[in-house]
Amino acid sequence: MIAEERIDPAKVTELATSLEGELARLIVGQKELVRDTVIGLIAGGHLLLEGVPGLGKTVLVRSLGQALSLSFARIQFTPDLMPADIVGTNVISEDTGRREFRYQPGPLFANIVLADEVNRATPKTQSALLEAMQERTVTVGTETRALPTPFFVLATQNPIELEGTYPLPEAQLDRFFFKILVPFPSEEELLEIARRTTGASITELEPVADAAAILAAQHVAREVPIAEHVLGYAGRLIMATHPDRTELDSVRRYVRFGASPRGLQTLVLAGKVRALLNGRFNVAFDDLAAVAPSALRHRIFLRFEAEADDVTADQIVAEILEKTDRAKAGD
Amino acid sequence: MSSLEAVVRELSRSAARSSALQYLEHAVLAAAAWVLAVFLAARVLPIEQVLRIAALGIPFAFGAVAVGWFASRPRTMNLMRTADLELGLQERLSTAWERRLADGPMDAALRGDALRHAAKVRLAAAFPVRFRRGEAAWIAILAATAIVLVLLPNPMDQLMAQRRADQAAQGRAATTIAAVKKKLTNSTQPAPVDPQVQKILQQLQDKVASAPDPRSALQNITPAEQQLLQLSDPKTPARATTAQNLANSLSGTNAGRIAAQAIATSPAGGAQSLRSLGSQLQSLSPQDRAQLAKALADAAQHAQDPAMAASLQQASSALTTGNLGAASAALNDLAAQFDSLQTQLTNDQEIASAINGLEASRQQLASQADRDAGQSTAPSGSPTTGSGSGQASGNGNGTGNGANGTGNGANGTGNGAGSGAGGGNGTGGLGVSGSGSGSGPAARSTERVYVPGQPVPGQTASDPTPLGPGQDVPLTPYTQVVQAYQQAALQVSNETLIPGSERDLIRQYFSSLSEPTK
Repeated sequence: MIAEERIDPAKVTELATSLEGELARLIVGQKELVRDTVIGLIAGGHLLLEGVPGLGKTVLVRSLGQALSLSFARIQFTPDLMPADIVGTNVISEDTGRREFRYQPGPLFANIVLADEVNRATPKTQSALLEAMQERTVTVGTETRALPTPFFVLATQNPIELEGTYPLPEAQLDRFFFKILVPFPSEEELLEIARRTTGASITELEPVADAAAILAAQHVAREVPIAEHVLGYAGRLIMATHPDRTELDSVRRYVRFGASPRGLQTLVLAGKVRALLNGRFNVAFDDLAAVAPSALRHRIFLRFEAEADDVTADQIVAEILEKTDRAKAGD
Repeated sequence: MSSLEAVVRELSRSAARSSALQYLEHAVLAAAAWVLAVFLAARVLPIEQVLRIAALGIPFAFGAVAVGWFASRPRTMNLMRTADLELGLQERLSTAWERRLADGPMDAALRGDALRHAAKVRLAAAFPVRFRRGEAAWIAILAATAIVLVLLPNPMDQLMAQRRADQAAQGRAATTIAAVKKKLTNSTQPAPVDPQVQKILQQLQDKVASAPDPRSALQNITPAEQQLLQLSDPKTPARATTAQNLANSLSGTNAGRIAAQAIATSPAGGAQSLRSLGSQLQSLSPQDRAQLAKALADAAQHAQDPAMAASLQQASSALTTGNLGAASAALNDLAAQFDSLQTQLTNDQEIASAINGLEASRQQLASQADRDAGQSTAPSGSPTTGSGSGQASGNGNGTGNGANGTGNGANGTGNGAGSGAGGGNGTGGLGVSGSGSGSGPAARSTERVYVPGQPVPGQTASDPTPLGPGQDVPLTPYTQVVQAYQQAALQVSNETLIPGSERDLIRQYFSSLSEPTK
């Protein structure tokens, strides 16, 4: 267990700036992606990165491991991946001439775990990951073991290859702090990627923070105050995602289930981190609005009509943000 | 900014300044709307002191808006929230104000950050002083409309003037009645019926003063006159005639000459003389007694009052038979009846005085009622002169009435059959004072009634004179001739000895003709 030390809020901003700067040496563009990743990191949440192959998802996560003095493990999820393959298993060992079962930890025992193409594993294996993400422990046999702190799961999935995949169930999606869409880079960024990756030199990242700094930053972030009316706005955003509690026609028509209370927690916590990263000591409406798409898009479950009309969760969230009054009295 | 309190003060001042202008516009708009509403109402309703009412509403509107402005002052938290939103302060001020007393790890930094950012902006910009053009345009429209309404002639002005004249006339009539009352009260010889007369006059005075118009007030006078007349004894004329006959009879006798003079002077004096005569019968000579008995018998024979006749006959018989005691008793009984007659005459004088006073009051009300009827009958812009009524007055049928009225033939001979436009209870006339009765369905007030006549000056082409079936003379709308008819009828009624109530019926009939179409 690493002791949490109290740090100045400005140090958190510095940490985030340093981390973003270090990642920018390897990741071209994708500033929003990097910012959301850092927010999730400081908030202590797990991230689900979704994008087509080749956009640098894996590179981003691996770079994050390099930029932080944290242990890093990568698990390539495949249909034949078993729970024991990720949580570890008891193996027979022969020490001092005596055979006995000894626990062999799996790759989950790392600070940063990259669950690559997480939707290709069977639900059984996904469930093993689920327990680790939620409880930050793994249970093998009768023994429950704590995972290292901090513990982040950064899962990736491909939105276009659906054959042979096992889409994550709603309960498991809800456990991801953010679902971040990895956009295709612009032409200029594309050219820069080509320049950086086709040369002889290989960029190596320097660690800018350790586990203690991350934990301290997480602690400081939770201390950022949020005013009641701002909190009320967050609550109204969540309520607006529910078809039976909203006044928005689109939500009533296209949404099957709205965001859970965990969505509100995510909104507020992510808002606090964003405020801190922006050098503020309070949560603003803009903070909530900025993190709302990443926090809510995987917590809003759409009806068939939405798919038929080509309506996405992001469009629903955008309309909710547009129609929800910030200056509503009586908060 | 040194503290959040200073920020709050600055924001409060700015908000008050900004909202004050808005509420001032509201107040001006409300005041303009009020004034316009009053002016519009004054065009459809008779409202006294329109300008004063309109002016009184202005401070009320400003006061109400001021109360609203004061009551709607934003709370401090709302000030901070508005400032955050308007100035882009990212909820720094509102969060800092909400946690101004908190002592968390970041609260001090939060307050410092909020104050630093507040110092960089102009806080007053959160509550800009804006002039709302839309509201200002409405104010201008309402004010211009109100001014136009003030400048244009108000159709209600004439009605208001008439109402004021009505009230003045009713007031004068009530004053006249009060003067009559006072005069009767101050009389040296109060009549026994004085309390009843006073009560009737007081009731009439109240009714006249509170009547809605002179015509309604007039309708109360006739019943009051009838009440007064009921106080009078109907036997009084007969008794007075009997007394006069007795005086005439006694004047030719030696013994009764003094009593005759006293009776001619007053019934009270006559009563005293008769008692004196009764006590002196013993001293009269037989010749004088016989002469007196004969005079009494003559008076009894011509007496119109049975009681007095009986007393006279009894006294005469007693004197003839030499029963002086019975004769004296009969004369005393006759004297008591003279005393009663004196009382009745006193009552009648008071009643007559009261009725005379009521007639003066009636004239005042009738004059105003006639003016009202003339104003409402005369077509606007083309006053009629009353010419063209000569033909109608010649045949004397003269009976036309509305719902319930009486007409008199102006001249000539009436046949008593109701004619004219409709007619409820019409009276034809014999000569100028004859009357008859007729009946027929009452004309509906919406009907347009025509009477034969020549086209009158001022008749417009748009109002042609239609000819009825079988008619070969042009017809004239009755509205153009009714005033002349009215003047003729009232003139004749004034020159004729008819009861005041009959004159009232004439006025009432013409007034009903001039009532506006419902």
